[in-house]
Amino acid sequence: MTQEQTADRPRVDAYEKVLGRALYAADQPIAGLLHGMTVPATIAKGRIEAIDLTAATNVRGVVRIFTHDDFSQIKTTPAARGAYGRPSKGYQPMTGPIVRHRGEPVALVVAETLEAAIEGAEAVKVRYAEEAFSAAMEDDRASREPEPESQLSSGDAETAFATASHRIDVEYLHPQQHHNPIELISTTAAFEDGELRIYEGTQAASAFAGGLAGMMGMDPTRLRGVSPYTGGGFGQKNGIQEQSVLVASAAILLRRPVKLVMPRGQLFHTASYRPRSRHRVRLGADEQGRLLAGLYETVQQNSRYDGFGCEHGANPPRMYGYGAWLGSDRIVRVDTQTPGHQRAPHEHPSSYATECAMDELAEAVGMDPVELRIANDAQRDPITGKPFSSRHLADCLRRGAELFDWNRRSREPGALVAENGDLIGLGVACGSYKGSMTPAVTTLRLFASGRCEIATSGHEMGQGIRSVIAAELIDVLGVDPEKLDIRIGDTGHAPQHVTAGSWGTGSAAPAARSAAVKLREELNLLTGSALSEEPIHLQLARTRRPVLEVTVNTIPLGKDAQVIEQLRRGIPSTTGPEYPEFMAFSWIAHFAEVHLEASTGRVRVKRVVSVADCGRVMNRRTAESQVRGGVIWGIGAALREVGETDPRFGGVLNNDLAEYVVPVNADIGAIDVDFIDQPDFKLNPSGVKGLGEVAMVGATAAVVNAVYNATGRRIRHLPIRIEDLL
Amino acid sequence: MSDPHDRQFLEITRRQVLEAGTIVAVSGMLPVAAQAQASSSQLAPENGVTVQVRFQINGQPSVLEIDARASLLDMLRERLGLVGAKKGCDHGQCGACTVHIDGRRVASCLTLAAKIDGRDVTTIEGVGSADTLHPMQQAFIDHDALQCGYCTPGQIMAAIACVKEGHASTPEEIREYMSGNICRCGAYVGIVAAIEQAAPQIERG
Repeated sequence: MTQEQTADRPRVDAYEKVLGRALYAADQPIAGLLHGMTVPATIAKGRIEAIDLTAATNVRGVVRIFTHDDFSQIKTTPAARGAYGRPSKGYQPMTGPIVRHRGEPVALVVAETLEAAIEGAEAVKVRYAEEAFSAAMEDDRASREPEPESQLSSGDAETAFATASHRIDVEYLHPQQHHNPIELISTTAAFEDGELRIYEGTQAASAFAGGLAGMMGMDPTRLRGVSPYTGGGFGQKNGIQEQSVLVASAAILLRRPVKLVMPRGQLFHTASYRPRSRHRVRLGADEQGRLLAGLYETVQQNSRYDGFGCEHGANPPRMYGYGAWLGSDRIVRVDTQTPGHQRAPHEHPSSYATECAMDELAEAVGMDPVELRIANDAQRDPITGKPFSSRHLADCLRRGAELFDWNRRSREPGALVAENGDLIGLGVACGSYKGSMTPAVTTLRLFASGRCEIATSGHEMGQGIRSVIAAELIDVLGVDPEKLDIRIGDTGHAPQHVTAGSWGTGSAAPAARSAAVKLREELNLLTGSALSEEPIHLQLARTRRPVLEVTVNTIPLGKDAQVIEQLRRGIPSTTGPEYPEFMAFSWIAHFAEVHLEASTGRVRVKRVVSVADCGRVMNRRTAESQVRGGVIWGIGAALREVGETDPRFGGVLNNDLAEYVVPVNADIGAIDVDFIDQPDFKLNPSGVKGLGEVAMVGATAAVVNAVYNATGRRIRHLPIRIEDLL
Repeated sequence: MSDPHDRQFLEITRRQVLEAGTIVAVSGMLPVAAQAQASSSQLAPENGVTVQVRFQINGQPSVLEIDARASLLDMLRERLGLVGAKKGCDHGQCGACTVHIDGRRVASCLTLAAKIDGRDVTTIEGVGSADTLHPMQQAFIDHDALQCGYCTPGQIMAAIACVKEGHASTPEEIREYMSGNICRCGAYVGIVAAIEQAAPQIERG
């Protein structure tokens, strides 16, 4: 029983996926299904005075049209969209005659066919009384929260900054971005086996069983959340959606199953997104480039009512050995839809601002940016003084520099020119993401036939959690991957944690591993002697038992058994990054090569090299894919993505995939990925940290720094477009 | 309203709810609702102007009387139970719904079902089988050219067409001709490698 390193196996669910057989939420075959379509509000703020349903009701096939009159008793609880667990926050549309953001549903048309539902929805006429609103934090009507959301400090940063030899004082702007997983958010509510099943592509199936039941005043045991496959989450599917309770209630009132696939144009307004933010960064260094002070102030644009936090300041002070630090994060509230967690929610924007500022500092000091970072490496957290559980960031930088051939870089911008005349720029940046874990409940069954069933907590949204679970079962039990049945994302099989924050692998791997180890122990007791190399199911067969079952609750480091009850109730209970003895983070270094066509200002990212320290790598193939995905998100953020809100109307103007531009195949060149692959057993018995989000952190800054190296121009907003470079 | 029975019970439901309050009514209604669903019929009636289309679907001749407003994607998914083609935008912007009509790739969300009369439609369900994967499907597995898998059926249909069109001779050409299919997970490097692997096998076949 050794812990195999850098295992390289096909993704365990790839087979079903290439055959088109993996069933997502909207794919479930359900008899007698009705189709829903929502009517989005066309004002940003105000009251609904009247809804005229005459024309819509006359559309052939329309079964029922729901309005706020039907849903007034639905409760907005801490599980509701936008509350993020905070009491008195959040907002559930259609529970009253008010509109709090443009695009929120004001009616739900249910019909026999989708075509009739769409026609019906278009025929609903709503009369509003509009109120004044603000849609941007720069607006006079915007409200600044009086207290900072978070603050961190160590030493006297102001004085250290004032006396530093080299000082950088810059402001970076990060735009609004939208996740846009390709799976549209759909909700299907259907009755099966005396319970109401909610099929919705989600990262949080227990939120349906627990949270939705609370909002509807139902017994949670009568609700089951099912999401065996989620078509991309990226944080947008980490809780109850605005539509979820509406569809569930409609199905109950109609006594028939109802499906709503919300159009993408509406999702830009109802689903979460990354909010705009401003970042002032001050860095002070001595003659040798030693960081004496970091001062970091951020402002984030939230909605009026949400409980979404602002944690930009959490990671930057942990990146380097700052002599002193002062940071604060503030929120400004406006009348728009609720923002939320989007891949590396605050770590990405903060790494963009601070790692670009580091590049500016390197230039001011006259140091190589890689050298500057290595010179300021730290093995202790400057804020708490605690050591890191593991940190191989300097190794990431050294290995990346070698793979990337960093030495060809010139400090002089525009010095490297391609054969076709394109300016070549090389940039580097680093990132970190907290090492977190969450509890899990696992039932593992081994059959004498060789079949092996596992039901555990976690959702598969493409990150490869099924492959991670499989890797541990194969490692410990030697079971045949073809005979594995992995049941996740379904509250009917196990309570489901919110699978986010890069804690999926750090929770699922130890859960699967400890269940497998326990099963071996129980089999040992049955056989009465040490297990042999023979296939484990044959050893079970010889005990004349058809099946052996074990159940294991895994409790993450620093938590007690109470967290299992929280998990069952759908309440998030995660750990990290601070543990009693240490701080835990994953680390990464990105190197980007951009080619800039001087006459048009067009930027192409030809090559990226990324080296990650994520603890043990569970599956080399899926891990590489995850890092490439994160890098592509970083490229999209650097050069493409921005949600443009019209301040006159409060809605997102570019609310489709033609106008909200995400990277396509032609935008992506080579992305070479490597790993340090050193297990971190301080954190958990599987030795894993997290990977999905750290993969993106710093990637945008590497591209922006490369653009500077090509052009000598510091562009301090995103995305960088041709008009910035002409 | 197509079914007078529906209209009747909806009225009753509405009254009950308004009188008793949603919460009480909702929780009490669950068993009744479950029963009602079990007895409802499988196929929804078409309720717009219909057209009759005769076509081949994955090699099988078929006839369907279908709402003239329906897209090919909604016909496949909601009428024929072929859910491999996915809805990602419904605007022809993402490629997740890509299928072949007479061997050419199309966005099925932008194609009216009425237009496939006399045509030959192939979806991911008609490509390869559990026993024998198509070379492109195997190549997608080999190069981990997918993550969440949602765009994958569309990517594979586009990839097969890309090769057959003769647009898979270089990585640059593949990237260009595969740019109508968005993969938000970012599996592009694997997708290009998969097409490079499968192209010679498809061209030989």
